[in-house]
Amino acid sequence: MTAIQVNRLSKSYGKFQAVDDISFEVEAGTVFALLGRNGAGKTTTIELLIGFQKPDTGSVRVLGLDPIKDRAQVRGNVGIMLQEAGFFPDLTAGQTVEIWRDFTPAARPASEALELAGLTAKAKTKVRQLSGGEKRRLDLALALLGRPDVLFLDEPTTGMDPEARRNIWEVVRDLAARGTTVLLTTHYLEEAQQLATNLAIMDRGEIVVDGDMAETLAARVGRVSFELPSVIDPGELPLPATVRGRLAVVQAADPDLAAQTLLGWASERGLRLRGLEVRAASLEDLFLELAQNHETPPNGAPARSDRPGRSGGARA
Amino acid sequence: MSFTATYKLSARLFWRDKGMLPASVITPLGLAIGMPTLMRNVQADGVAAAAQMFAGALALILAATAFLNITVALTMRRDQLVLKRLRTTRLTDRQILLGEVANNVTQTVALMIVSAVAVHFLADVPLPRNPVLFTVFAVAGSAVLATLGVAWTAAIPRGELAAPMTLPFFFLAGLASGAMGTIMDLLPSWLHPLLAALPTSAVVDVVRTSYGPGTLGSDLAAAAVPALALAVWAGIALLSIRRWFRWDSRKS
Repeated sequence: MTAIQVNRLSKSYGKFQAVDDISFEVEAGTVFALLGRNGAGKTTTIELLIGFQKPDTGSVRVLGLDPIKDRAQVRGNVGIMLQEAGFFPDLTAGQTVEIWRDFTPAARPASEALELAGLTAKAKTKVRQLSGGEKRRLDLALALLGRPDVLFLDEPTTGMDPEARRNIWEVVRDLAARGTTVLLTTHYLEEAQQLATNLAIMDRGEIVVDGDMAETLAARVGRVSFELPSVIDPGELPLPATVRGRLAVVQAADPDLAAQTLLGWASERGLRLRGLEVRAASLEDLFLELAQNHETPPNGAPARSDRPGRSGGARA
Repeated sequence: MSFTATYKLSARLFWRDKGMLPASVITPLGLAIGMPTLMRNVQADGVAAAAQMFAGALALILAATAFLNITVALTMRRDQLVLKRLRTTRLTDRQILLGEVANNVTQTVALMIVSAVAVHFLADVPLPRNPVLFTVFAVAGSAVLATLGVAWTAAIPRGELAAPMTLPFFFLAGLASGAMGTIMDLLPSWLHPLLAALPTSAVVDVVRTSYGPGTLGSDLAAAAVPALALAVWAGIALLSIRRWFRWDSRKS
């Protein structure tokens, strides 16, 4: 079943095209990551999905409903964690959750929501005394109060320490396992890779890459990097490499095999490949690749990378 | 669930906001009780002067507790992105604003009644002859002023400007209603009908009627024009909110 449908959606602010003709679908019970640099259009997309903004053209359906026309019904079934939203600074975390329970039909007990977000110990602390990461957790507690079918998380772990971040990942995984659909934006590529089964990368309002996470990464190349021995000329290497300073980088579909080839070649010559690193394709590589393409557009327009398989449910 | 929830929240925040209480409660209440009491003791026709001053001072309660308070509170909540967060809940926009307005009306009417009782005991001002008329216009006037306050937030760029941009109306309302003495007599005559058209003046006119001699018929006749004035102000406020109200400080 499709939980979120976005069809040829566009939104501009004056002359700025924030979202430009994007389409994608999110299957129920999956985690979908919407990635992109600052200003790529992620937050505007979320605001269109939750009915905060009205599309210029195109349509949005959440659980089959229009988030603007059927606002009350949609809001009753979704949890929303905005990138930026405030609290009443003089209320405690516990009081905040209690007040929000009044706005939420069939709400979880406050203690359960606080526990899910890992905030039980801070229940009696005033919001103004919470750290940035703790405020994000309070955000999550509020988003989870109504046991939502669909959860929108706009940069959910920003400001959290690594341990808190991993705890939140556990919560998101657990919710998805129980059937909650999650759409998240994040700057942490590891986070997207850890949590999401599908992804879309936005740039200047457009979707430039989308699809199933595993397929998308499988379609990219990995890399092997090492310090080029001083006696070796790059042309002598057994595989084509790019060299910056003394760092040689070999891109390969199978980076393990490439590393073996390089090590065998070095061993035959009695050389050591210092600082050898072998990396499978990662979102980070994909991101850097997109950024490079973006910085050197052939005709002033942002370069678009290849679109991987669309079987993952997204199309642009 | 929803409307009462926002009402409860707004009421809780009203009394917890220690920074605002001097402006929203203490000053208007002090003026509405203190000035008539002073008049009672220094003027020859003490009781009549006190009653006249008390009705005028109600404009100060309306301007401070209803108009200024809701303007400052909503602008701050908009800047703190709390309004934005409230909109992520199941509440409709109307429920969020109605809860704020309804709480504001409750506090304002409560202060008007408290001050009426206080000046009765402290300055011998009689209780209103027609308490129903007094109450109806206290409620309607508070509702219109609070709604105007909601609309006025759209003109205020950021929270710290809310009080300075609202305070002139406090003085204007006091001036027009006679709460600031006889300065009105010194103003050019063309200004009088404009000041009389203020929503605070409409309420003060009817309150004076509710205290003075009269019958049900004369009361209704006297209330007709002020009721119309309040209706027009309410219409202006509602249209402005629909057209210009901002939930988020960043976007227009």
